[in-house]
Amino acid sequence: METNLKSKAFQEFSNAAETLVNPVLQRWKDQGGKVVGYFCSTVPEEIITAAGLTPFRMRATGSTGTEESDAFYSSINCSFPRHCFNQVLTGDFKFLDGIVCVNSCDHVRRIYDNWKRFVPTDFIEMMSLPRKTGPDQVGWYTEELAMLKDKVGKHFGVEITDDRLWEAVKLHNETRRLQKKLYELRKQEKPPITGAETLAVMVAGTAMPKEQYNEKLRELLDELSGTEGPGGHRARLLIVGGILDDPAYIKVIEDQGGLVVTDSTCFGSRLMWVEVDENASDPISALAQYYLTDRPSCPRMYGEHDNRAQYVIDMCREFNCDGVIGERLIFCDSWLVEHYMLGQDLKAAGIPMLKLDREYLTSGIGQLRTRVQAFLETMGR
Amino acid sequence: MALIDKHPELARYITEQGWFEFLREQTLAMIEIPEMQLQVKTLDSLLKMYGRILDAVENDKPFVSSYYCLAPELYTAMDLPYYMVMQTPFLASSVPYLLTDIDAAEEMGLGNDLCTAIRLSIYYVEANLSPLPTCALNLLYPCDGAPLLHEVIKRNERWRNIPMFACDPPYYSDERSLDYFADEMRKMAKFVETNTGAKLDMDKLKETLEYSNQMFQLWDEYNQLRRNVPSPHGWGIGAPQCFSQAWVYEAGTPQGVEWFKKLVEIAELNVKNGVGPVPEEKIRLFWFDLLPFGWVFEFLPWLEEEWGAVMVMDMFGNFPYTMIDTSSEEEIWRGLAKRNLFDAPMVRQARGVADNFANDIARIVKDFKIDAVVWPGHMGHKDGAATVGIMRETCRDLSVPFVHLGLDLFDKRYSTPDQIKDKMSQFFRAMGLG
Repeated sequence: METNLKSKAFQEFSNAAETLVNPVLQRWKDQGGKVVGYFCSTVPEEIITAAGLTPFRMRATGSTGTEESDAFYSSINCSFPRHCFNQVLTGDFKFLDGIVCVNSCDHVRRIYDNWKRFVPTDFIEMMSLPRKTGPDQVGWYTEELAMLKDKVGKHFGVEITDDRLWEAVKLHNETRRLQKKLYELRKQEKPPITGAETLAVMVAGTAMPKEQYNEKLRELLDELSGTEGPGGHRARLLIVGGILDDPAYIKVIEDQGGLVVTDSTCFGSRLMWVEVDENASDPISALAQYYLTDRPSCPRMYGEHDNRAQYVIDMCREFNCDGVIGERLIFCDSWLVEHYMLGQDLKAAGIPMLKLDREYLTSGIGQLRTRVQAFLETMGR
Repeated sequence: MALIDKHPELARYITEQGWFEFLREQTLAMIEIPEMQLQVKTLDSLLKMYGRILDAVENDKPFVSSYYCLAPELYTAMDLPYYMVMQTPFLASSVPYLLTDIDAAEEMGLGNDLCTAIRLSIYYVEANLSPLPTCALNLLYPCDGAPLLHEVIKRNERWRNIPMFACDPPYYSDERSLDYFADEMRKMAKFVETNTGAKLDMDKLKETLEYSNQMFQLWDEYNQLRRNVPSPHGWGIGAPQCFSQAWVYEAGTPQGVEWFKKLVEIAELNVKNGVGPVPEEKIRLFWFDLLPFGWVFEFLPWLEEEWGAVMVMDMFGNFPYTMIDTSSEEEIWRGLAKRNLFDAPMVRQARGVADNFANDIARIVKDFKIDAVVWPGHMGHKDGAATVGIMRETCRDLSVPFVHLGLDLFDKRYSTPDQIKDKMSQFFRAMGLG
């Protein structure tokens, strides 16, 4: 991506966000390492890491069409699973050694059914994620994670002990802390890193072994520490939505003068704003508690809207935002209704909001520019 | 002071009641037809429900808002009035204000790609057009739309302080899931007791479930009759009425049992006389969804008249009909959980993995001698939309033609009845049917 950052570490992150198999992941594979893909940020990467595997968050980077998957999906389905399953059918995900799915939404959960029926795969699992977030549901999810741990361990021939899990929890918490430090830098009046660049760093974090990612992120943080960006932006923005993994989308917004300084997205702050409790009695229940209850949720979870809205408002205040952009993939019911409610909450809090519908592959850039420009103008910027 | 002045949220509810009273009068005009006599009884049950809610509001008695497939036998056993928060899109979808309300929902900011039934239900809550209950039971399945509707309800300023409970659905259909969901149902019943003052007497529940079992058994018997060629009934009577009796208005009542007995009796007579809904049944259809309630009269009579195409079965008409074992409290809860989570139409297909789409097609095509499977492709059924490849392959294996239409069951402007008729005609011609 086009960037003013001269950092070598950033360049590696940027490359990773622009491809499926980045050089670091390829080296891992070349050395005999295995990679397990997973859908949705409610799947605990830690279990995969604890098995000595590299977790890979599924996306459809590089997709150019849905010709193959159109026979399996309909025109009222979200473009993310259509592009992603198209790549499954064309063999782009052959580098994966296994898949973990979850009943995240009506569109994405059917990837499991289609994949299982039509594409031979040695290891494909489906987890049952509750809708509520209470103690009973944490109990249910704890059992789900325990079963997943056993299945991963059995299939890949690894005993996933509590020690290995705690080690993975600490490693992933370290990732979260480093990413949070990166976000802290964006609170500056002239942040040294843009929203688009940050997204590239975050996406890369889901596509390479965590030890190596953390090392590079430390390097980037050292380089950025004490520096500042060019400034001159018209407004500071928060972006809220679902699976946004394309930095180019944010770049279009930022090219209009709206600097994205923070977010509440699936590849953004919701991944790392809080940590897994390292002092819990056992690692599996700690992970269930974290993924179901403690971390900021998405609208797929029931009864949590007030907390989600408060999270966005708090982030706006903490990062001194002038406005919010809500992005939604067309046909996503969850984010449509969430943005409907959030718009009312933000209005009451005096924070302007622009709601944008989009396709998974960034398109309609002219219209996006116009909408963002108009939004900035209505804010008097 | 009129009830409506004191309770403006009843505006739509009272209009609907008037609409159904009008329909009842119209149906009475055709009273000599046995099926119509049964329709009158169906409307009587519905009107009784409206009356009970209005009475509860007027006299400050407890009542519950609920959803479909959420163990309505519990309310019957507790003698507690209840209504479905989503009933207007289904029940009153032929009323003159339907399209105006759809537009108003869009103007409210609910877009146009969210399921119209969910969108309208949100609109009615947000626009203060749904009765405010003593407590609310929310459903978190079978699709993404259901929990979203209930999230809006939970947040709405008029509903915010109403106690609410939602049963959490597991994704699988195994014993562990059954135990989990049975526990959720137990908690739901306790919640209703606590918040309404009504008591759940287990003997009364047992008696209610025994009536309910009889209803489901008769429903199953009725479906066996629909296997006949010609089918004794088409779209005009069948799943929607059976569902409304067994799962909504008369869940576990002696009146419900009598209704089903009459239905079976009428169907048996038709079979005996070789009578069906059309003079010559040419195509036997499996319509794999709800009926297009918003424009049903503009399309379904045409199918029968123009093509001799009879809707022998639909999504809501056929499922396992598992009886609830009432021998112990434990079995009662497990039975309720199984019926409402694993068996319930639409829930059984949409909630979990896609196998039930394929299995139901295979079972129904064989059992009912189906000539063609129609996936209407309602714009809100996105999990089904992502299952079309599986459905198509299943039909290919069964050598039965399959068509995917693409429509809105409630809004006839999405795909017009003429467009759908044209698609159906092209499909029938291409497949050499009719």
